[in-house]
Amino acid sequence: MSEDAREAVGDYKAGWHDPENATIRFDFGLSEQVVRDISALKNEPEWMTEIRVKAYHHFMERPMPTWGNMHMLEEIDFDKVCYYLRSSDATEKNWEDVPDDIRNTFDRLGIPEAEQKWLSGVTAQYESEAVYHSIREDLEEQGVIFLDMDSGLREYEAIVKKYFCSVVPFSDNKFSALNTAVWSGGSFIYVPSGVHVEMPVQAYFRINAKNMGQFERTLIIADEGSSVHYVEGCTAPTYSTDSLHSAVVELIALPGAHIRYSTVQNWSANVYNLVTKRGIAHENATIEWIDGNIGSKLTMKYPAVILKGEGAHAEVISVAYSGKGQHQDAGAKIHHLASNTTSKILSKSISKNGGRGSYRGMVTVSPKAENCKVNVVCDALLLDEDSRSDTYPTMEVGNSGARCEHEASVSKVSDDQLFYLMSRGHSEEEALALIVNGFFEPFTRELPMEYAVELNQLMALEMEGSIG
Amino acid sequence: MSSSYLEHANTDKAAHIWRYTSWKKTHPTGIINDIPESNSPEISISLVNGNPIPEGVSIHDATDSDIERLGHELDFDHGSAAPKFITALVPKVTILSIKDKVKIESPLIVKISTSGNICTARLLIDIGSQVEAEIITIIEGDANWTGILREGKYGANAIVNDVVTQITGNRLLRCDALSLERDAQVKAGTVNASSSQAKVDIRHWLNEPGSSLKVNGSILSSNEDHLDSHIEIIHTGRDTRSRLEWHSACGGKSNTTGTGMLKIDAGAKGADAGQLFHNLLISERAKANSIPELEVLESEVVGCGHGTANGPLDEQQLFYLSTRGFDEEQARSALIAAFLNAPLSDMGSEPLHGWLIERIEKHLNMI
Repeated sequence: MSEDAREAVGDYKAGWHDPENATIRFDFGLSEQVVRDISALKNEPEWMTEIRVKAYHHFMERPMPTWGNMHMLEEIDFDKVCYYLRSSDATEKNWEDVPDDIRNTFDRLGIPEAEQKWLSGVTAQYESEAVYHSIREDLEEQGVIFLDMDSGLREYEAIVKKYFCSVVPFSDNKFSALNTAVWSGGSFIYVPSGVHVEMPVQAYFRINAKNMGQFERTLIIADEGSSVHYVEGCTAPTYSTDSLHSAVVELIALPGAHIRYSTVQNWSANVYNLVTKRGIAHENATIEWIDGNIGSKLTMKYPAVILKGEGAHAEVISVAYSGKGQHQDAGAKIHHLASNTTSKILSKSISKNGGRGSYRGMVTVSPKAENCKVNVVCDALLLDEDSRSDTYPTMEVGNSGARCEHEASVSKVSDDQLFYLMSRGHSEEEALALIVNGFFEPFTRELPMEYAVELNQLMALEMEGSIG
Repeated sequence: MSSSYLEHANTDKAAHIWRYTSWKKTHPTGIINDIPESNSPEISISLVNGNPIPEGVSIHDATDSDIERLGHELDFDHGSAAPKFITALVPKVTILSIKDKVKIESPLIVKISTSGNICTARLLIDIGSQVEAEIITIIEGDANWTGILREGKYGANAIVNDVVTQITGNRLLRCDALSLERDAQVKAGTVNASSSQAKVDIRHWLNEPGSSLKVNGSILSSNEDHLDSHIEIIHTGRDTRSRLEWHSACGGKSNTTGTGMLKIDAGAKGADAGQLFHNLLISERAKANSIPELEVLESEVVGCGHGTANGPLDEQQLFYLSTRGFDEEQARSALIAAFLNAPLSDMGSEPLHGWLIERIEKHLNMI
């Protein structure tokens, strides 16, 4: 990385970029032809092309949201985004076969090392396509399918056709329509009935090119009584122009299944992260979203769970860090459709250097859902005078037997805590970093150890220069 | 006036204030560009104890300078269609004035009696400095649609308990826009017992240091009532304090909404604010919605928080009362009354509380 580049990147550790060696690069801008070309390039079945085209028209007709950070949203120029870029001709199963420059990127991010140590499987996505993919043999033998989404569509078309757009219809919102029109890459996971994937599977998403749009699509189906933990990480180079990441994630937890979906989003501060994530939990199933938002320019992400089956449970634990020029507009949505369902939302945010953190959430209890329990807690820390914190929770309760609680608080770092830590020998900066790590602890303790350590280091880095 | 309204008539459906009761549904004719004819209600004042109105307290027509001095209608940055609409409709503007240092020993009743099809009032409230008073505003009458806009200020060091009771049986739109001057201490209460459709938008500005506000709501909904209350508290001055406690008992097939916005502007150092929405669902077909919002732009705050709790009547409490000889209906009524009484008892003095209890019980018994 050159000195100039290092200066531009600043503290953002993943902000370098490699030379762009695209094998296929579409022109900037979106049209029906671009959508059809992406589909043709992937040799997709006709039904998928049709969905893409319908979604494209919906995207074009649908206005931009009139809520949230409209000022930042208006800055997105959809004509200056590259909607498809392929840097490798194939998805490799051996790390050595991945092109050198791409391998170099993921080596620097520590992906293969992590795979050897503590993962059941890995997908690495570079720009629009997955470049590397592997899964442990014993899981494969048990019938676990872990593929990139394009391969999933080719090899398991019937399953994909059944579930694709079943949780997030393309007409759900403007950005889910965009994703459905131009999706490429992402993960496809099917866990057979009764199989427990003990170690997490991981996907790592990297945007390398300027003005790139990454639109991965992930579909996870956990069959009856199975369980899986999926972890995703995201980085991008720091450019002066903006990139767009607009993913759709659909989770289906069949009766008794358990899906945990963990994200550590650390996009560079020039990426718009506009993501739709939603799961359906059937009888006695559990879906957990563990969601960390550290990077990006604007994140709008509200992981959702539809509790469709009796006894289902949902949990969303999220943290957000908003630094200079950032707006983390994150939250959660839970819909209680069935009786005896329970949910818990814990949201924590820190704003610093003029950053803005927003919690935007919704909980609904349908009239037929008896005996539901809901608990929502939002805490925010403001570290300086220029920052801002908002909380916009919505609760719609249609059943008289439901018990729903929501509480939120906004505060500054306690002087007593700082004083105590400093009296034990820490500098003010170290004390602040410790307090922040402690504030995020309910989130980090749910992450795999390596991610938790990485996150703590990341936050300590962000806290440097906070004092004085 | 009408042109100012028409510029804002097309409301943003994504705004939370219009989420559950659109402006179209609130508008008396449902045609948002329509500015229908309206008449004025009768407004009178009296004291609860029957004594003569003390010197320094008066109600009369407002002058242009009164409107300029006390009008807040332009301060609504969102949801402004409602106050602008009332402003466009009202035939005249009235002012309730309490001069500096006046102390009123008995609660002052401001009776707004509506009649006819559409009835609107714009009432300016001018409370002088160091005033000590309790004000009960009663909105009653048989108008099909009532619009009330209350604007004004509580003077420096004033201690005021200001309660509005909504007992008009038909449709109601009420907008409050009031500011607190330095060290003013205000308790603003709302009691709703019989409006079938009410859209209430209550806003207070704590612009000067040391001001303190408590907003209490005691809302009873039944039958097919549709009650939507938006309460906004904006802290811009230093060392200001506010609390909100809003209790809604939701019965019948009613739909009850409470949306709150607690905003701490940059520079409002030392702000201490909290809001709490409680919804008691007393019928299987009742629905309750709440959106308590927080926007905090100042880090040097004592604390800002909010909470909501929705739930049914407590089984243990019902059981306890049944062991003490209450039958099920009596036990339920007692618990509902206690739930509504919690904010009610905090709205003011004993005479004021007694007066309010009398009104609430009457309606509770009707249900």
